Amino acid sequence: MTSESESRLVLGRRELALGAATLSVAAATPALAAGTGKFITANNNSYDTLDPHVVFDIGRIASRLNLYDALVRWTDDPPKLNMWLAEKVDISPDALTYTFTLKDAKFHDGTPITAEDVVYSMERILALKKGAYGLFSSVVKPGTTKALNPKTVQFRLTSPYAVFMAVLPEMWVVNSKMVRAHEHNGDWGAGWLARHEAGSGSFRLTHYDPAVGFAADRYAAHFMGWGPKYLDSIEFRGILEVASRVLGLEKGEFDALDGYTPYDQIKRLRGKPKVKILTEPSLRTMYFIIHNRRPPLDDVNMRRALCYAFDYNGFINNLLDGSVVRNAGIIPDPMWGAPKDLQGYTYDLDKAKAALAKVKGPMRTLTINALGGYPQSGQAAELLQSGLAKIGVKATIQSQPWPVVAARLGDEQKSADLIPLWRSAYFADPHNWTGYIYNSKQIGRGNLSFFSNKRFDELTDKALVLVKQADRQPLYEEASRILVDEAAGLFIYNTNYYGAFNDRVQGVRYCPIADAQDMRWQWLA
Amino acid sequence: MRLLGLIARRLVWVPATLIGLVVLVFVISHVVPNDPARIIAGENATTAQLAALRHQYGFDLPLPEQLLRYIIQVARGDMGVSLYTQTPVAGEIWRRLPATMELAVYAMAVAVLLGVPLGVAAALRRNSWFDHTLRVLTVSGLAIAAFWLAILLQLLFAMWLNLTPVQGRVSDFGPSGITGFYTIDAALAGDWSTELDVLRHLALPVMTLAFPAMATIVRFTRAGVIGTLGSFFVDYQRAMGVPWRVTVWRYVLRSALTGTLTQIGLVFGNLLAGAVVVEAVFDWPGLGQFAVNSILQSDYNAILGFTIYVGVMFIVVNLLIDVGQVLLDPRGR
Repeated sequence: MTSESESRLVLGRRELALGAATLSVAAATPALAAGTGKFITANNNSYDTLDPHVVFDIGRIASRLNLYDALVRWTDDPPKLNMWLAEKVDISPDALTYTFTLKDAKFHDGTPITAEDVVYSMERILALKKGAYGLFSSVVKPGTTKALNPKTVQFRLTSPYAVFMAVLPEMWVVNSKMVRAHEHNGDWGAGWLARHEAGSGSFRLTHYDPAVGFAADRYAAHFMGWGPKYLDSIEFRGILEVASRVLGLEKGEFDALDGYTPYDQIKRLRGKPKVKILTEPSLRTMYFIIHNRRPPLDDVNMRRALCYAFDYNGFINNLLDGSVVRNAGIIPDPMWGAPKDLQGYTYDLDKAKAALAKVKGPMRTLTINALGGYPQSGQAAELLQSGLAKIGVKATIQSQPWPVVAARLGDEQKSADLIPLWRSAYFADPHNWTGYIYNSKQIGRGNLSFFSNKRFDELTDKALVLVKQADRQPLYEEASRILVDEAAGLFIYNTNYYGAFNDRVQGVRYCPIADAQDMRWQWLA
Repeated sequence: MRLLGLIARRLVWVPATLIGLVVLVFVISHVVPNDPARIIAGENATTAQLAALRHQYGFDLPLPEQLLRYIIQVARGDMGVSLYTQTPVAGEIWRRLPATMELAVYAMAVAVLLGVPLGVAAALRRNSWFDHTLRVLTVSGLAIAAFWLAILLQLLFAMWLNLTPVQGRVSDFGPSGITGFYTIDAALAGDWSTELDVLRHLALPVMTLAFPAMATIVRFTRAGVIGTLGSFFVDYQRAMGVPWRVTVWRYVLRSALTGTLTQIGLVFGNLLAGAVVVEAVFDWPGLGQFAVNSILQSDYNAILGFTIYVGVMFIVVNLLIDVGQVLLDPRGR
């Protein structure tokens, strides 16, 4: 029999892949340390709020990453989870209790960060019901997070949740005293925190204008210390027009662009002086949501026919100029849990016709709901429509803006038959691409395909209970194969990240979840 | 007294006009099949989270009840809170208003100061090479799409000649001041390097907006002056020996400007409503961008707040135009 002390899992820096050489920079010789100036990023999203608990997206992650800290943090590519505000975590044998010990760290106003601040931050997320709320709400109930002492905080989950550590980087710790002082009519300080900051991050807010962006100065006393070279200040500007962002980089008005620059602009920038392009494999897969419950799509043969009728190579190599990589399954290939030998579908009209011949129910015209304003979504819809026409299946395309498409998602009656879109890396765990969006318990929430498969559910449920990656990996690999075999979705590609930078920029550390916008690593030559 | 009566009659209709406007926009924005709760909560939202948000914002109430609540709220002077940013909509509009106002005022000033004299000159040199050249220019000004002109100007002045920045309102976060007009605030602070920086940032968006506005003013001024030149009072003044310059600039222009003034009002009203395309291309932090973001995010309160603002602006501008026309043309008194 294994004693509790033996089975209890304690993770510290080393276990969470925190290489001392990569992250422990506090020991840098002060005499050599030097600020390298101001760094301006042109971002495709506006910073309409600074509240870290009401938004949860990559587009506006810079304000959260640079002004706030969390217990753990994702860095690098492939993503590595590092201890950040936490010194270590003790996970109980039943994987229900997570006890974190905090490092010595201070907020920007000099107040020490305590367990009470962590408790307040979690309670605030659960109360506001916005941002990353959906990641925690199923396993953390209000009032269950406890401060055991000023340096120890304990989370008690309602059920095992193996991705808890993976989603914790979105639980940004706010200065509870400061926010409480600005609470108004029980709003948890939401009105105030939208325009101010109460964090401990690597940079301290100096200017904020929602119509322009934000600027921040280096927080010299940050608990992680600083390397020999660093930025003195950062500025993120929300610039919606891509041509203005690109011209601004060329002209030297900006030092970097966001990671969503269209590939035709990236190609143009490649030949420009004083501009360099960083290319990294990303974790964002494009696929078609298939309505698995609506006839004839409830027949696996019909779904397979769809998958054989899409011209993958034509889309990737001709329409997208080879800027993305074929991904046979829904889990991005660089991610663990993605089977390396997975055989996906190919464009094969004979196989499509053969699969179609096995469909028992009556045929009808299918609807494809493309996302207006996203040209790739429309192109993929047209390519599938063309392939389907060749096997005698009619499809109509409705192009609608995201708010309209989003309003129907999860509604079994209103959702379209097929929706070409992307699945981003909200957290770097295979659950993000499997259990969260295909487990039948998630139908109407994350599972927008209405897919249901008993074996798949067993695998993804079990994988959520296990803690060790080695135990979980084979489960996700099998789950991924089931999705392909069942043609639960039409899986197309995994994106590459193309970051455009001024050639003076050094030290960039791209992470699919941080989008190269964690500025503490960068400096200007 | 007649002038005051005119203003009073116009003001009486303001509440009814605004209520009509709010009802129209409210219905249009709410019957579109979208779900702001899902936009706010994101694609990872749970059903309970969506239900809570719909309840919190009253989206689960019948549409007439939502409308009534909104009208009562606005009547109290409260435009509500932005669903997306959680801040008061009135504050958001107020914060962005100076950027749009400054751009609109400078663009109108350039358009009027160039457009009126050019229109008069074209009328006096009717069918000359000058008139023909100006006609080509003004037709171009009306025909060229704003975004295309904006990008051309960016390439020419910012990229090739390196005279202006590509985008933005100022290189940093702007001078702090009381008016929100950066040109005025920088001047009041005696910060001349910032003043110059602000003017360099203003140059391209002002040119982009002023060009079509000037074209309209030139065309209407020219037509007005040509029409007036054929009046008996012009022949009479010439016969009486009044200098031609005085006749044209003091009497003909005054009579000819009534049509132009109406156009100036319409153009200015449009500019105050936010030059959406130009603000987007030049990343101008004004109301145009605010409107676009609000629509993309289905932020009902922000859309309605912006619509009320636009309505008020047009009412005010139209009132000023009516007053101006009465002052210009004594027959209106």
